[in-house]
Amino acid sequence: MRDAVYLDHAATAPLDPRVAALMSACLADPDLQANPASSHAAGRAAAERLAAARGQVARLVNALPEAIVLTSGATESVNLAVLGSVRGAGAGHRHVVTSRVEHRAGLDACRQLEREGHDVTWLAPGGDGEISAAQVEAVLREDTALVSLMHANNETGALTDIGAVAGLCEARGIAFHTDAAQSAGKVPVDAALPGIALLSFCAHKLGGPKGIGALYVRRRPRPPMQPLHFGGGHERGLRSGTLALHQAVGFGLACELAAAALGDESPRIRALRERLWGQLQAAAPAWRNGAAEPSVPGILSVGFAGIEGESLLLELDGVVAAASGAACNSATGEPSHVLRALGRSEEAIQASLRLSLGRGTQAEDVDRAAAAIVRAVARLRAALPLGALERIA
Amino acid sequence: MSTAAAGYSPRVRSLFSALEGAGDLPEAAGAEVSGEAVALDRLAWVRFAARIDARRISDCRFRAFGCPHTLAAASLVATQLRGAPIDAGLVLDAARLKRELDAPAEKMGRLLVVEDALRNLLDGARRVQYQRRWPSP
Repeated sequence: MRDAVYLDHAATAPLDPRVAALMSACLADPDLQANPASSHAAGRAAAERLAAARGQVARLVNALPEAIVLTSGATESVNLAVLGSVRGAGAGHRHVVTSRVEHRAGLDACRQLEREGHDVTWLAPGGDGEISAAQVEAVLREDTALVSLMHANNETGALTDIGAVAGLCEARGIAFHTDAAQSAGKVPVDAALPGIALLSFCAHKLGGPKGIGALYVRRRPRPPMQPLHFGGGHERGLRSGTLALHQAVGFGLACELAAAALGDESPRIRALRERLWGQLQAAAPAWRNGAAEPSVPGILSVGFAGIEGESLLLELDGVVAAASGAACNSATGEPSHVLRALGRSEEAIQASLRLSLGRGTQAEDVDRAAAAIVRAVARLRAALPLGALERIA
Repeated sequence: MSTAAAGYSPRVRSLFSALEGAGDLPEAAGAEVSGEAVALDRLAWVRFAARIDARRISDCRFRAFGCPHTLAAASLVATQLRGAPIDAGLVLDAARLKRELDAPAEKMGRLLVVEDALRNLLDGARRVQYQRRWPSP
């Protein structure tokens, strides 16, 4: 990772050194060793520090600290939002609306709800990767308990108009959850938009530590929720377990840094992404998965005709750190369900590469990565059978 | 994902890095034959071209689309065929390629595509030799 150009920020962003330093200091601080839930003086000191961190996390999404439930990460937040709210909605609300391009956390939580007897409507995106408010409106029912859609897609970067969808839900009294793991800290995210009941995000996508995330749970009206596990009733009864103070402190600072940098970094990273895409035209025929806009600034999903993704990644190994068309499913080796939902062929999915830029990315990184990718594509194409370039896309 | 190299043996990495034998046959004496196998559902497409001279394969090249194991296997076959008699039989089948490359079981489907392309090449070579010995009237 030191020598390679790191273009996998959508998987995880490098830990900001300022965050690492603060976390280390917190771990070593003799005054911050107590359980924040303890009532003695040492516990109260830890609780105060925790409250400050929670405030920083809340401010990133324009929420009150009391509305933030700290979790182990976005996967847990999404599970708690989807399973907890639907199970809590009661017998008269058996219907859930989601999309085929959600992160596996959302997909698998909704599949679990199907196994429990709920009826899930799976919306398909257009070729641009977007789910429209009109699509959502068309499938809402009297018994709809939840609409759950990603704010920014983790593979294409496509943004959903969550304000419009939340408004529809608000008017019908339906809970709306959005997975903002890829958007929080990258574009303005406003949990106070009318209709947003639940919003998930995490620390490690924005320079914070892995292992901590947050679920915003609207206070008034609070959606009916059931916890996923039980214990001491921490986090307003929704997420029992002693909180890791150093993780929360790191998360808080990462949110504060991301919020402070948002105005400058968002256009800078967007410009770098377009510079990268421009330079990759030298490897034409190439295509972009999903629309260029609206999107989060740092994600570029591209495909190269005649290229097998595994070979491209091995060509780039040690030079560019990126994700293949298998993207978030690397654990299972399955081709991307997102690109499949966009109508891409299996060959095109395998020929795709997700390049994701972040705060550490500089213009020279982009230039070096683009040159390496163009070289790698050319080398692999030079070995292709005649006719393969036209047929494999 | 980004740890692309984790699943590849040193042999695969070495063959993939060099891709010896990739490209087209240079002009030379002798008959040119080819063998191809395409299985895009397995993301593999392999084509061998060989020059036959005095019942031996004097040169062999490949072109391929596929994963690193596919390309490495095609390169291994192309280089090992050089100088081999055309009647030697199928010396590098998929099982042997799997062992040589220390490939995981899930790559067998793609290695079978390499084997099929090799079979087609050898069948073509034998046909050429037969036609030379027994030309059509």
